[in-house]
Amino acid sequence: MTERGTAGRAAPDGAGPRHVACVMDGNGRWARRRSLPRTAGHRAAETAVIDVIEAARAAGVEWLTLYAFSTENWNRSGTEVEFLMRLVRRVVRKHAPLLLARGIRCRFLGVADPRIPRELAQDFCDLAALTADNRGMTLTVAFDHGGRRDIVEAARSLIRSGTPADEVTERLFADHLPFPDTPDVDLVIRTSGEQRISNFMLWQVAYAEWVFPEVLWPDLRAPDFLAYLHAYQRRDRRFGGVSAGTNGDPS
Amino acid sequence: MTTEAPGTADEALPFGPESEFSGFFDDPRWALAIIRATVLEAAHPQVGAALADNSTFVAHPWRRLRNTFVSMRRMFGTDPAVREREAARLNRLHARMSGSDSRGRAYDAMDRATRAWVVATLFESAVTMCRLSGQPLDQDTMERMYAEYRAFLAALDGDAAELPEDLHDFWRYFDRIVENELENTEAARIILYRLFDHLPAPALLHGAPTLWAAGRAVAGPVLGAITVASLPEPYRRRAGLPEMPGAPTLMQGAYLAAGLTRFLPGGWINAESIIEALSLPPDSDDPRARTVTALRARMKRASALLRLLTPLSGDAGPAPAPPAAAQETRRSAEEFFRRVLDQTGDGHLDWPDLAAMARELSTRLDLDEPEETRLYDAFAAWWRELQAALDTDGDGRVGAEEYAAAVPSLAGPALIRVAEVLFDATDKDGNGSIDADEYRTLFRTAFHRDLTTTDGAHGRSAFVGDFLSFMTGRRTGTPYDPLLADA
Repeated sequence: MTERGTAGRAAPDGAGPRHVACVMDGNGRWARRRSLPRTAGHRAAETAVIDVIEAARAAGVEWLTLYAFSTENWNRSGTEVEFLMRLVRRVVRKHAPLLLARGIRCRFLGVADPRIPRELAQDFCDLAALTADNRGMTLTVAFDHGGRRDIVEAARSLIRSGTPADEVTERLFADHLPFPDTPDVDLVIRTSGEQRISNFMLWQVAYAEWVFPEVLWPDLRAPDFLAYLHAYQRRDRRFGGVSAGTNGDPS
Repeated sequence: MTTEAPGTADEALPFGPESEFSGFFDDPRWALAIIRATVLEAAHPQVGAALADNSTFVAHPWRRLRNTFVSMRRMFGTDPAVREREAARLNRLHARMSGSDSRGRAYDAMDRATRAWVVATLFESAVTMCRLSGQPLDQDTMERMYAEYRAFLAALDGDAAELPEDLHDFWRYFDRIVENELENTEAARIILYRLFDHLPAPALLHGAPTLWAAGRAVAGPVLGAITVASLPEPYRRRAGLPEMPGAPTLMQGAYLAAGLTRFLPGGWINAESIIEALSLPPDSDDPRARTVTALRARMKRASALLRLLTPLSGDAGPAPAPPAAAQETRRSAEEFFRRVLDQTGDGHLDWPDLAAMARELSTRLDLDEPEETRLYDAFAAWWRELQAALDTDGDGRVGAEEYAAAVPSLAGPALIRVAEVLFDATDKDGNGSIDADEYRTLFRTAFHRDLTTTDGAHGRSAFVGDFLSFMTGRRTGTPYDPLLADA
């Protein structure tokens, strides 16, 4: 575990990032370059996911978030979506024991759409319940996630709670986001060279550093991941002169 | 009972329910005596070094106390087969313990003189416990009991030559060791000082946690003082143990009181329940309340794991196990328990069962030292996990029924660790996956089986998942099934 005192602000000589997020991009292109169906790319992504989880845990990252499926991904072809649902279910079940043994707390951000198969939703619940008491790294899988939707939900929750408009602050607003204990994202890694935010954790990435490596997600391995952590440590984070409040963290 | 093995050499051996020894089993003084004997053992440099090197002892010293108790009960039982198995197991266990202490002196748990000393402390403490409680043994009884303890040593070592034949010579032997060889070892200090700081409530006070919380501040040091006061004077002097005013009186009073409790109705208090209580983790102020909440959370996690581990039936089918399947699981778990887990065949699962399994696996896999230790440690950790999960009735062992009922909660991190150690041992080329060759080699060498089919490489997670399904009895007909059952 890294020391918490330096969270959110990187010194020049570098504490590592506390919260790292990955936008796992490039599975389709990886498959196309090999003249394989897109589904083969998704299948190859599994190895990279496990590699990154192990590397992050070993490097002392406290929070790891993986963007697995966006609210926009429902627009893909029916067969691809169906394949993804089956694949995710298989991966979750397969790795559940190791995640438990590694002390990783798992949870799933989003998961609201009724199109998600009931069995998959049950597996998500089970894995979260199974690992809820773990005190190692927290792994958040953003599945059927949209940053705007989270913000709208927070707004609804605020209005329902009857909070007077004048009392709404950033801190209070953040408390109504899903998983309010999640700290701000320090570093986002988006693979395959795409440079977009794509509606990902809009509130939490406000002050995040981004890296956009050319590597396609299925080719990403632990050494690459560590290199990005290193690059982060060399960056001088200024927060635009704004202090580094963590999201909803009552510290 | 003893007629089961007529004509064998065992008939001459003073074991079984008529023995002097078994008369102490339900005697609460026996708990005090074993604590005392353990201190005297630990004060022996050889034993002390072996204990201190064993991390389990440092963290959970009471557990060894308990193991001694259980093991002696086996050794003094009526069934010669059980006795032989236990002796063989103790020898295997001790064969693993050798090394050198903090001052570079070698120790070896197989050293005959050292093992004789362990038996000597148990005998001497039994005699002393009677003496201190004002009911000293007469000479005849004492000699019969000495013969029993020598037979105990002979069952372990082949003969009892290391202990004097004659009781009269024994006392000279004992005094000489106490005066010349015992030291203030780290292991002895651990028992005397650290343990008594955190004393769990005895079973008798489970119903009255607040009473115990108040009483503990007194009871811990008191038990410490009692033990210290009961140690031989030369050792107390050498180890620099404090002389506390009134402690000898207190000590004799405690032994006397413990002796008197024998006249209480059966089951109110006995040595086993005292020792069980001492084996509980130190922070359990209110074991019952804790158990209930922990149990609820554990059940929730267990059912989650159960669902996650249930193999998917093809890609399409919905997986949640229907009630009928749960019944099926229960049956197969009981079957699994009998065929695979209960290595001693006594109907209960205990550490010796798992130790035997670890032993067999590491022998057959021909593991080198660091891996063997890892496997052994992994099994030890699993046993702790099992105990924590299943020690609901506090009898310290796990029955087939209990096992089957709790089976889903058994696949905790420690068992997963066992699977991982096996995986690493099998993955000789260290490429993170077991290829078909390695998989076949595992089964041929470890389980003496040739596999007809394998479906290519096995990744770590897949291997762990398979192993867990097997160990929790959820999947019969895996390649493991006939194999470990023979192990």
